[in-house]
Amino acid sequence: MPGFLPNVTHACFELSYLLALAAELARLRWPRPWLRVAGLLFGAAGLFAHSLFLALRQPTPATAYGGLLVVAWVLAVFYLYGTLHDGKRAWAVFVLPLVLGLVGLAFLAGKDQVPLGVPWESEHRVWGALHGVFVLCAAVGVSVGAVASVMYLIQADRLRRKKNPLGGVKLLSLERLETINRRAVTAAFPFLTAGLLLGAVLMRQYHDLVDNWLSPKVLGTVGLWAVFLLLLYLRYVVHVPGRRLARLTLVAFALMIAVLVAAHPFAGGTP
Amino acid sequence: MNLRVVGCNYRTAAVELREKLAFDAAKQDRAVAELPARFGCEVVLLSTCNRVELYTARPPQEPAFDLDRVAEYLGEVHSLSPDVVRPLLYERADAEAVVHLSRVTASLDSLVVGEGQIAGQVKTAFDFAQKAAATGALLNALFPHALRVAKRVRTETGIALGHVSVSSVAVDYVRQVFDHFGDKTVLVIGAGKMARLTLKHLEALKPKRILVTNRNPAKAIEVAGMCGGVPVPWENLDAALAETDIALSTTGAPQPIMPAKRFEEKVRPKRGSGTLVVLDIAVPRDFDPAIHDGDRVCLFNIDDLTRVREQTIAARHAHLAPAEAIIAAEAKKFLDDWNRRKSGPVIQQLRTEFDKVRAEVLAGVLSKLNGKVSDADKAYIEGGFRLLQNKLLHGPIAALQQASKDGESRQMLDAVRKLFGLSGG
Repeated sequence: MPGFLPNVTHACFELSYLLALAAELARLRWPRPWLRVAGLLFGAAGLFAHSLFLALRQPTPATAYGGLLVVAWVLAVFYLYGTLHDGKRAWAVFVLPLVLGLVGLAFLAGKDQVPLGVPWESEHRVWGALHGVFVLCAAVGVSVGAVASVMYLIQADRLRRKKNPLGGVKLLSLERLETINRRAVTAAFPFLTAGLLLGAVLMRQYHDLVDNWLSPKVLGTVGLWAVFLLLLYLRYVVHVPGRRLARLTLVAFALMIAVLVAAHPFAGGTP
Repeated sequence: MNLRVVGCNYRTAAVELREKLAFDAAKQDRAVAELPARFGCEVVLLSTCNRVELYTARPPQEPAFDLDRVAEYLGEVHSLSPDVVRPLLYERADAEAVVHLSRVTASLDSLVVGEGQIAGQVKTAFDFAQKAAATGALLNALFPHALRVAKRVRTETGIALGHVSVSSVAVDYVRQVFDHFGDKTVLVIGAGKMARLTLKHLEALKPKRILVTNRNPAKAIEVAGMCGGVPVPWENLDAALAETDIALSTTGAPQPIMPAKRFEEKVRPKRGSGTLVVLDIAVPRDFDPAIHDGDRVCLFNIDDLTRVREQTIAARHAHLAPAEAIIAAEAKKFLDDWNRRKSGPVIQQLRTEFDKVRAEVLAGVLSKLNGKVSDADKAYIEGGFRLLQNKLLHGPIAALQQASKDGESRQMLDAVRKLFGLSGG
């Protein structure tokens, strides 16, 4: 292993993402091809460092620290794919602040957060990991939906105010943004449901205490699930306007962040 | 360089006069064949709806094909008095003509700054003249230069950003709402000229179906026939709107055909969750602006579209200064290169002549010193002669190069040729 690898820190990828964002913001004012290349290079360097960090440090996604870093990584992949696939749109302007925010939040949540005290070889551990994967998949879906929602609200506002269609930040059409939001939320719901059910079964089996059931993380997850259900109901049954769905998706995203940051009810070991 | 552009454009001549001075294909054919033969000049003729310009180049020592001659020629071709034509014309010479062509090609001199057609028209005019063997060294260098500069201006500045026709702006708005059109329905209400123009743009999006409605059923059938649409009875307007994604309205109705109350009661409740884009380009307006919410209904009327068009034009004007700077820099480069091309052969000839004389004198000197000097001494003497030659030539060559940069190479070239007895010219 090259000697520098263990030295990859938060600062490496956070600074790279920050420079990529700065290059993209500068490109809005001065549309120079080299700024796009610079943004892409910084973004790719950030993602590389981020990937190395996750691979080498292996922070457990069961903690807020690990979970937020993994969600941020998936969003960084989403940003880079979007930028390479459709370079005319200002993906970085919308996705990178979210990535930076999640990494910053992970840093604040603290890498020393106590992981779950469950032995590796136990059956609980396997099901617990599966529960974590489901919840993380749902988190990624909500995050993608949230990015699309922010874009949707800005685009709808521009249309409402009848701004120059080719002026300002280049955005996707309302239809495309709505489709991204719909697919992300619809795909996230089964993962969230499965994660929630699996978590409930595990808690019933191994940590069946009233305090655990009433912990902020559990209640928040149930609330998140309810918001998801409401989102799907409003979309597929009531057919409410896209703007309201976008706002509700942002509420779901905020709730998801709160759930991710909240301490796990049985962190530190089985009672 | 003996380059002239003489012509008229939308600023100097009214459309009636421009029409009279315009060259159709036959006249253009005649001009590019006749001018080089009659006047011994290279020629490119640019004739568009907004300008008629004659680019000519003649040998430096000959009189230019100037405004008076062009006025006479245009009068002759179009059967007009030269006195009528002369006041409409402008003339640019040499460096100014180089800049002028670049400005025209980059669309800085167009009625709508940044429009994309003119570069193609310049290229066509040049290709036409080239095929007719009416161009020579100067115009063959100048026109590709202008086309290259125009491309640079368009890519490096925002001079061509956005759309400036109302129809294109309307479609730009539609594209902000919808991503794909294969499942969309377009409803055309009315049959005004503007509707047909905008409909052409919408047709290019390949919508799933086009419905056409009109108070006059015959007109609805006529428009539907033109665009492969389906005529819909006027009485079914509400039902048609309920299943429409993009409505294009351009009736001549004196009152709005869709007041907000009617829309809210009879159309909105029947619509699903999809967005309706209304392009209301009728005057007076057909749809009540109150129905616009930027989410479920996006309504854009003629004022909105015109405002965006004007914003785009204003934004393009903000890019004029950087575009002019590119053109000025490129023109200087072109003129430097051109002048260097003219002085380069003379400098080469000068060097060759001096080399010849040096070799002769050196041969004489060395033959007299035969056997008295070593090889090293011979090399030293040869070096001395070469140094002397270089020092003698430094002044004239530097003066030639400087004159090339200043665009005054012709007099200097003549002087150097005479002073050193060089042939050619």
